[in-house]
Amino acid sequence: MSAAGIEVLLARLYADAGLRSEFLRDPAAVARAAGLDPHEVAALQAIDRVGLEMAAESYERKRAGKAP
Amino acid sequence: MSADRVGLGWRGELAAGILDRLEAFDVLEVIAEPWMGKPRRDVRALRTLGEACPVVIHGVAMGLASSLPVEQGRLDAMARIVEEARPSAWSEHLAFVRAGGFEVGHLAAPPRTEATVAGTIANIERAARVVGSPPGVENIATLVDPPASSLDECAWTRAIVAGANAPMLLDLHNLYANAVNFRREPLQMLLAMPLDRVAMVHLSGGRWIERRGERRLLDDHVHDPPDPVYEMLEVLAANAPRALTVIVERDGGYPSMDQLVAQVDRAREAVRRGREAAGALRRVA
Repeated sequence: MSAAGIEVLLARLYADAGLRSEFLRDPAAVARAAGLDPHEVAALQAIDRVGLEMAAESYERKRAGKAP
Repeated sequence: MSADRVGLGWRGELAAGILDRLEAFDVLEVIAEPWMGKPRRDVRALRTLGEACPVVIHGVAMGLASSLPVEQGRLDAMARIVEEARPSAWSEHLAFVRAGGFEVGHLAAPPRTEATVAGTIANIERAARVVGSPPGVENIATLVDPPASSLDECAWTRAIVAGANAPMLLDLHNLYANAVNFRREPLQMLLAMPLDRVAMVHLSGGRWIERRGERRLLDDHVHDPPDPVYEMLEVLAANAPRALTVIVERDGGYPSMDQLVAQVDRAREAVRRGREAAGALRRVA
């Protein structure tokens, strides 16, 4: 997988609440389905979950034209 | 250093107040994106504004920090703004904002790796060729520690600005927020940044948010810069060799223009104290 794979998955996780919920239930499965290699899957399994949720909510408010 | 400048971010809501108090500002920073696609005569109004008070241009949606290439249309749009407005400098964020057709909607931190260092350097070099000058590249605040990173924020930033030979726009509230959110010492982080390349500075504020017992500082630009940010500015001015263009940013929850001018004055005083301390140290040495 190219280095861009994680960026694409992160962008999808920030933009798609459904995928994010699925990811938070089973990060390894979502990361594997996105084509990430085992090292990248492990990194995604260890993601800062509270930060991911906070960031995604902040981006949702920005996309809605509100303050973050 | 007499070339230091301190000013305010231009916003439509603040325009009348800024024009009424123009003598209070050495420089104004204009966000580029609202001007993209506007008729030439409208964009040239920025040149007129710049004749009254020096202007710098700031982009928020280019997505320089990525292993993926920046869209050519965004570079061309920035080039046109810079050509028409003739600012003294322009800047963009070390962030990715889209990937694979998905728009994040705001500034996101990519994995801090050798691959994103290389991709970001390539994007900055291309931006410099298209626009005609390199952007000042700005560190961003992030609520999530970017996964799969092999470099810390300071090492990643140093590698990019050195590799691209770009000036840096150091956002002190972004740096402060990342330090407190990820349990780092703000002043240590500041001193680990490439201070020799810092030419521009942003000051802003934020609020604490909480989730499952975890608190983080969100950089929202709708609160006043907190005291530690001014203290960091003083330390920066004591250690940065280049002239500094310092901008107070505010995107909402606007206080009175008197209060904003007071924040600009406080920033100017912090820079003066820092320069004075550096001068005293040089005299002793």
